[in-house]
Amino acid sequence: MLIADEFFLIAHNDTRGKAKLHPAATGLGLAGGLLGELVLYGHITVAQGQVTVLDRRPPADALAHTVLDQLIGEAQHQAVRTWLSFLAQTSVTSVGERLARAGVLRRQETRRLLRSSVSYLPIDLNVAAWPATRLRALLDRAESPSVPDALLLGLVAAAGLTREVLWSAGPRAHHRLNLIIPALPAPLKELVAHTEAAVGAAVLRGTP
Amino acid sequence: MSSTATTERPSNVSEALARGRLGVPSVVFFVLSAAAPLTVVAGVVTTGYGVVGVLGIPLAFLTVAAVLALFSAGYVAMARRMANAGAFYAYVSRGLGRPAGVGTAWVALLAYNALQVGLYGTIGAAATPVLDRLFGITPQWWLVALVAWALVGLLGLLRVDINGMVLAALLCAEIAVIVVFDLGQLSNPAPGGVSFAAFSPDNFFVPGIGAVLVLAILGFVGFEASVVFSEESKDPRRTVPMATYLSVAIIAVVYALSSWSMTVAVGPERIVEEAGTQSVELIFNLAGAHLGDTVLTIGQALFLTSVIAAMISFHNTTARYAFALGRERVLPAVFGRTSPTTGAPRAASLAQSALGLAVIVLYAVNGWDPVLQLFFWLGTSGGFGVLLLIATTAVAIIVYFARSGEQETLWRRLIAPGIAAVALFAIVVLAVQNFADLLGVEPDSPLRWLFPAAYPVAALLGALWGLVLRRNRPETYARIGLGAESAAAVVVPPSSVTESAPEVPR
Repeated sequence: MLIADEFFLIAHNDTRGKAKLHPAATGLGLAGGLLGELVLYGHITVAQGQVTVLDRRPPADALAHTVLDQLIGEAQHQAVRTWLSFLAQTSVTSVGERLARAGVLRRQETRRLLRSSVSYLPIDLNVAAWPATRLRALLDRAESPSVPDALLLGLVAAAGLTREVLWSAGPRAHHRLNLIIPALPAPLKELVAHTEAAVGAAVLRGTP
Repeated sequence: MSSTATTERPSNVSEALARGRLGVPSVVFFVLSAAAPLTVVAGVVTTGYGVVGVLGIPLAFLTVAAVLALFSAGYVAMARRMANAGAFYAYVSRGLGRPAGVGTAWVALLAYNALQVGLYGTIGAAATPVLDRLFGITPQWWLVALVAWALVGLLGLLRVDINGMVLAALLCAEIAVIVVFDLGQLSNPAPGGVSFAAFSPDNFFVPGIGAVLVLAILGFVGFEASVVFSEESKDPRRTVPMATYLSVAIIAVVYALSSWSMTVAVGPERIVEEAGTQSVELIFNLAGAHLGDTVLTIGQALFLTSVIAAMISFHNTTARYAFALGRERVLPAVFGRTSPTTGAPRAASLAQSALGLAVIVLYAVNGWDPVLQLFFWLGTSGGFGVLLLIATTAVAIIVYFARSGEQETLWRRLIAPGIAAVALFAIVVLAVQNFADLLGVEPDSPLRWLFPAAYPVAALLGALWGLVLRRNRPETYARIGLGAESAAAVVVPPSSVTESAPEVPR
């Protein structure tokens, strides 16, 4: 499963699809995941706060393709923070739709008063609960996780979800987490750091 | 081919990010609602006349406004170049070094906490007439304060920043009521006619001038928040400066007018005595006599909502200060965590609430006077703390521009902040001399030293902590002053953090 998909499932309740994380952090965490996917595929890299496109060939995933097209089409914007803010505005919908296309979630529109809201309900509880379970298990193991898993852990920590994922884990798991993030490859480490900074800035501004 | 000029393609990214950006009115509304004008006019000004006993309060508001406008010229210019622009200690860290920055942060925590907790002292006085009208009850002040405390604590945890529209509506109503009150007072002058004695320099340059100036500063607290929106404003170079100047000007006019009209209605020679005996009720008694019961009721209700809004606003300011420091790891990291579902800085909010509860209980158990000893003492001490913060920041701005060599006009980088710094430190000196007047205690009371001395002690401890960090935790030391942006500072040098902020072409 892709990074942003797993982040989405972790950030939402596995039975009713309710958000476990406030909207600003969810959007930014998912945006970090989408950029992270492109970094992992080798399409872009992050350095000195800037995103650079390395490989213009279209990625296999449709959403990743769209994001890469946007990055190529608007080369005047390079700042990671700009892209995080931009992608965060639509990331819940775009990643939710991707999971719906993959058959993991079911899109549900609810109409309450004049507003209609969209939520994504899990189809198979086990699939929806798996990413969080997997991360917990990862931190219990002694060997270091793969780079994608380490990135996911980094984004979860950056968005402030660590306690939700590690609620049952001991201090050793927390300690291990503190070692995994600094050991990320430089572009991903920077991406995680900018995601954390953007989430913190949103909290300071006080706009939910 | 050559006839088709290449027009720039519209940028989806710029357009999407520009949506929802704030213009001047939104920022002004935000700043003014944090300033809670009716709390100042009905609470601070009346008590100020009574306690300090100086007639020159209106002139003090105008003087302070002029100084703050000068200060703002450099302040908004530096804010554009800052991460964590909302916090004074960030400026001091950049300008005067990180240990000084931590010292300033400690002072700021003390000052903003004092301002917030002080408000619990006046909520009783604000709620009594409303509760009396509604239910015919007059509960103890601390009971009301505890209810308000629970409300503030809960909203802080749920991160319910009161809806901007509600705040704006309340603010407009407050200002309308203040203006109506003022008109009522001006059309009913005391025997002897409309007197301009309150604007006379003779009534301003008197012993106690320092106390009155601190009082005026207290009225402006909140103006500094405009720069928080640098990154979200439509045009950082124009929106935030305009909003800052406009806020200072509006506050100055409203407060100067209201404090002057009070002296007109009561009479310049009797205002001190009357304010001393009637305290917060003075302005409402006048309104009741001039304008009748309906206006009076509306005024009292709005005073209550104004105090509550101010409490929530200061609670959130204080909690966010602690959150930013927690993100930097200058305070324990737990302060930098948020509640996942609401994004509220949970530990920081709880800590502020705990302090509030402790103070309410302390005052209730000892039977100390809530309006004078809690609201006015802590409020003015908090105002003095903010004065120290502004003065230090003015110096930091000058040093920052001198050292960094950034392109900026001479006026903004040196002259305006220079004059402001001199004036602000003059006010600090006068305030320290007059602190007994400010508190309304005997000149030999130990309290007149205790309150102002808390700040240098806090600053010194903070600076020492900064030095300890430099030696033992250099990584934390490097993050000082960056607030939430410190997360990115670990991997990127600080200068590029501010530059990488979302840019929007005009």
